[in-house]
Amino acid sequence: MTPSELKNVCEQVAPLLVFYACGELDESEQALVQQHLAACAACSAQLSEEKNLQNLLASLPQDADRLDSAGVLLSQCRSELAETLDDMVRPPVLEKTPVFGAFRRWMALRPAWSGAVLVVIGLLLGVQASQWHFARNAVNPLDEAVNVHPGPHFTDDQLSRIQVAGINFSPSVGSAAQNVRVELNAEQPVEITGSLDDSDVRRVVTYVVKSGDRFDPGMRLDCLEALKARSGDSDVREALLAAARKDQNPAVRLKALEALRDSASEEAVRALLLDTLKHDSNPGVRVEAVNLLVNSLEKSGSGNGLPAMVPGMLDGNTVPAMAKEKAHEVSMTGVIMALEDLRRSDPSSYVRLRSAAALRQLSARNDQ
Amino acid sequence: MPLPRLAFALADDSGQSGSPSAALASGTSLAQLEERALVQEAQAGNRLAFEELVRRYDRDVLRLALNLMKRTEDARDVYQEAFLKVYRNLHRFRFECSFYTWLYRIVTNVCLDQLRRRQARPEDQAPELHPAHYEEGMTDFFERQKEQRPSSDPERHLIGQEIKQRLACAMERLSPRERIVFEMKHYQGLKLRAIGDALGTSEETVKNSLFRATRKLRSQLGELR
Repeated sequence: MTPSELKNVCEQVAPLLVFYACGELDESEQALVQQHLAACAACSAQLSEEKNLQNLLASLPQDADRLDSAGVLLSQCRSELAETLDDMVRPPVLEKTPVFGAFRRWMALRPAWSGAVLVVIGLLLGVQASQWHFARNAVNPLDEAVNVHPGPHFTDDQLSRIQVAGINFSPSVGSAAQNVRVELNAEQPVEITGSLDDSDVRRVVTYVVKSGDRFDPGMRLDCLEALKARSGDSDVREALLAAARKDQNPAVRLKALEALRDSASEEAVRALLLDTLKHDSNPGVRVEAVNLLVNSLEKSGSGNGLPAMVPGMLDGNTVPAMAKEKAHEVSMTGVIMALEDLRRSDPSSYVRLRSAAALRQLSARNDQ
Repeated sequence: MPLPRLAFALADDSGQSGSPSAALASGTSLAQLEERALVQEAQAGNRLAFEELVRRYDRDVLRLALNLMKRTEDARDVYQEAFLKVYRNLHRFRFECSFYTWLYRIVTNVCLDQLRRRQARPEDQAPELHPAHYEEGMTDFFERQKEQRPSSDPERHLIGQEIKQRLACAMERLSPRERIVFEMKHYQGLKLRAIGDALGTSEETVKNSLFRATRKLRSQLGELR
């Protein structure tokens, strides 16, 4: 080993000598020191000094020996402590069976794991509790949650004065039906929650649809989406018809028509569709009306047979033979005529093309 | 897996590893109880069990306090304060370490508080009795050594007195923590790991404290060795 290497090891070993002398080195450090001491006289001398110092310290009298050589102080301390304990109130006694004692100890020692475990327990309890809550309240056969708070029956006058602050739709647990939560700003803020089976909820939602510009178009669209499944109900259908006919927003009118798709074969709806074909200002809405009319005629035609059409009726000047149709019914003739009008004179080329396609579709159906 | 629980219950019934109260009822004296059982008994409110615990450890506690504080009044205060703290907080002891370690943690904290207080307000404290001040005391180590040695050596006696004075001065220069570590290592004979446990710190920190303390003492005593 070169002198410089030896010096390096000396620097490494020197701080360890104190602990070597009092037996506080681990095996590897001890081996390193012993190996070095065999080769280094300077470190051996330093170790000898360390040991001398420790022997000297050990040989010196301790203050405890001098200050209480006879143990008198110890006896005094004991009796003083006993007197103090006599005067003291008894300290809290350890519970024999502490509640969750082991669990609490485990948690105290593992804070990160405890946090994770508590979160999981909280989630499980939350999920279970909400399921239990919904199951407990599902008294209707459709298993739909109906919670109405506080359950007011709105009058028309009240409805005319309320403002809807927000509507939220969410699927109910275990059922396809939607839960609706409506926040109303009436004289006092009111929140009603329930499915569309609830009369108050349905009433408010249909009122929003019918009221046109009083409410935000986005809110009206949401309500129409919710009412789509209820187009068979007379009050809902009435609201949908009103929205399709009068709403200022074309997207709302379009949505109302979509919501009426299942009822398109009914007389009132067909009348609305024809009216829309002729008078609606928005080409998209007119096209939707064409589609609905054609679909409804095809459906009714499959069951009852389409009205007979005279040959060449699609030339542009023909009239379908529909003499036997009742006057109050929306006749095929009226539909054909309306479609012919659109095909000829609608300002939108897409509407003209769609009308022509619809006429061909109806004709082909009739030929079958 | 109910087997271990059953085995434990059977052991309880047979009294092999039963409760301390059961052991006491069967005539076992407190002095014969294991430390754990004794602590449990004291936790349950048994005053005699607590006093037995005190008797097991208080000699070492007072010794540590005397060596550190160097004044009987201060050591007496440390003793009282430490054991009263133990008494008040025994119900919180959860056997996560040995009772001895827990006790020493309390004692060293009380000592540290006292030493720091003394450093902060030295004017309030009575002077420590340095070896030079009790030269004439019959308990003095070097005096006793002189009598016991076959041939008296006046020069060595003088050097011994000088060493004691310097050592006392050097000890005064140590920080409270260094002083406690040094005391627990050299006079209580504890391992560094146990000292770390008692002080609530790592073995490495204790090592550093001991190293610094030894260096200070060596530099103070260097010329005489």
